[in-house]
Formats: sequence, structure tokens, C-alpha cells
Amino acid sequence: MMFITGPLYSGKRTFARQFAGSCITDVQDKAADAADLTQLAEELAQYDIVIATEVGGGVVPVDAGQRAAREAAGRLACLLAARADCVVQMFCGIPTVLKGELPKKC
Amino acid sequence: MLTLVLGGAASGKSEYAESLVLKTALPRYYLATMQVWDAECAARVAKHRKMRARKQFATVECPLHLEQVQLPARGTALLEDLGNLTANELYSPGGAGKHAARAVLAGVEAVASQCENLVLVSNEVFSGGADYAGDTDQYLLALAQVNNALAARADNVCRVVCGIPVYYKGGTPE
Repeated sequence: MMFITGPLYSGKRTFARQFAGSCITDVQDKAADAADLTQLAEELAQYDIVIATEVGGGVVPVDAGQRAAREAAGRLACLLAARADCVVQMFCGIPTVLKGELPKKC
Repeated sequence: MLTLVLGGAASGKSEYAESLVLKTALPRYYLATMQVWDAECAARVAKHRKMRARKQFATVECPLHLEQVQLPARGTALLEDLGNLTANELYSPGGAGKHAARAVLAGVEAVASQCENLVLVSNEVFSGGADYAGDTDQYLLALAQVNNALAARADNVCRVVCGIPVYYKGGTPE
């Protein structure tokens, strides 16, 4: 599995389109409602490409629910990165490989 | 040569971008994007103009319609910043509105064709969440379109972190 992360609108999906296989996006939204983050990460790791938007780079939200959601999203990203063969972080459309090697392009 | 310098608030991106320009030959232009609303803004602008005059920058005000800028001679230009310019085009009565990103990109092309070196300063504001709505989301999308298109177009892309330049593309321009 290749895990692609990066800020909002940083070109994650556009980058992912170069690679074949099943792809799931916006997994950061799934973290808040998950009873078990590890199990969620295991399920998501069955995809070839998993995409999450980084949401932990702002000020701590005032709302408790939003705080918890942000926390869960960050933890999920760590669990996914640990399971990934390749981790890519996007920045203004430019990929940086943080772990492993990129799969073959299609 | 086109160089894009990005960073978060108070990351040192402006200072670094300016240091790149100071290494180049004259003339030097500073393309200022701030809209002057009141006396406080005006005083700030006057102070910054004076500081830059010592560094031999000629200031060109372009809070809107960058594509109309005419530089008197070929040299180096520093545009600061794209976050401001995009917001102006998006929200000002005389701006491009929903075509803000396209207008900013056309403006950058017009300026790039008039100088040897163009250094663009832009803003990183995309890591605080993913569920923005309305005007904020519209702004983030427009600025991301500007940043991503210019990162693809630029010879050098530099992210400034705590005052330290990290190159994602190219390297320190000669």
C-alpha cells in the first residue's frame, strides 16, 4: 500500500492517478467515528493507495469534538504510514518520498 | 529565472526571498500587493518603502491587475505576496472574482516576461483542516491553484522553515 499525505489541495489525487490499483481518499474523515483505529488502519491498508489530508497543522480547535477528530486523524495517519510500503508527502504538487520506493507508474 | 518561496506565517520567507534578490544585479523592483485601507496601513507602507529604498528597490504597487504592470527596465522583481494578491482579486470589487487564480497566473506570466529574475513569495495555509466551507474554502482552493501551478512552472521551489530554506525543486538561484 502507498500512503499519500499532504496539506489540503496539495495535489495528492492528481499524483495518485499515475498509479494503478484501488484508491481511497479523505480517510482522515473516517478516524473520528472509528471505534478501533488499528482495525480501521488494517482495513484501509487493503487498498493499493490511501490518501489522507493533513489536518493537524492549525491551532488547537476550541470544540472538543473537533479536537478529538483531529487527534484521531493524526493517529490514523501514523498507523497507515507504519503499514505502508511507500509514504509520499505532497507539497504544491511536488512529491517527497518519506518511506520506501514509489510503485511502478501505469 | 522564476523562483517560488513559500512558508507559513513568520517563517522568515520574506527575508529569505529578499536575500535572493539582493544577490542579483540592478534594477530591483518590489511588487507590493497590500491594499491601503487607512492611515495605519499607509504608515506601514511608507516605512517599508523607505527600508527597501536603501536596498535599491523601486516599489511598484499592484494590489490588483498584476497583468497591467509595466516595469521600466529588465531586472529582478520580488512579488510579495501571492496570498494577498489572490485574496484581493477574489474579494475586491474591481477584482477577478471567481477567476482570481487565472488572473493571478496571467499576471505572473506578464511580469515574468518583463524581467530576468522573478521571485514570488507565497503562503502556506493548508494544514489546519480539510472541512472549510464557503468563502474560506474558495480562497484556499484559489491560492492552492496558484501555488501548485507556479510550483510546476518555476525553476526553483523553496519552502522556508524557521528561516531555513528547503528546496523542493531546483536550488539556490545563481
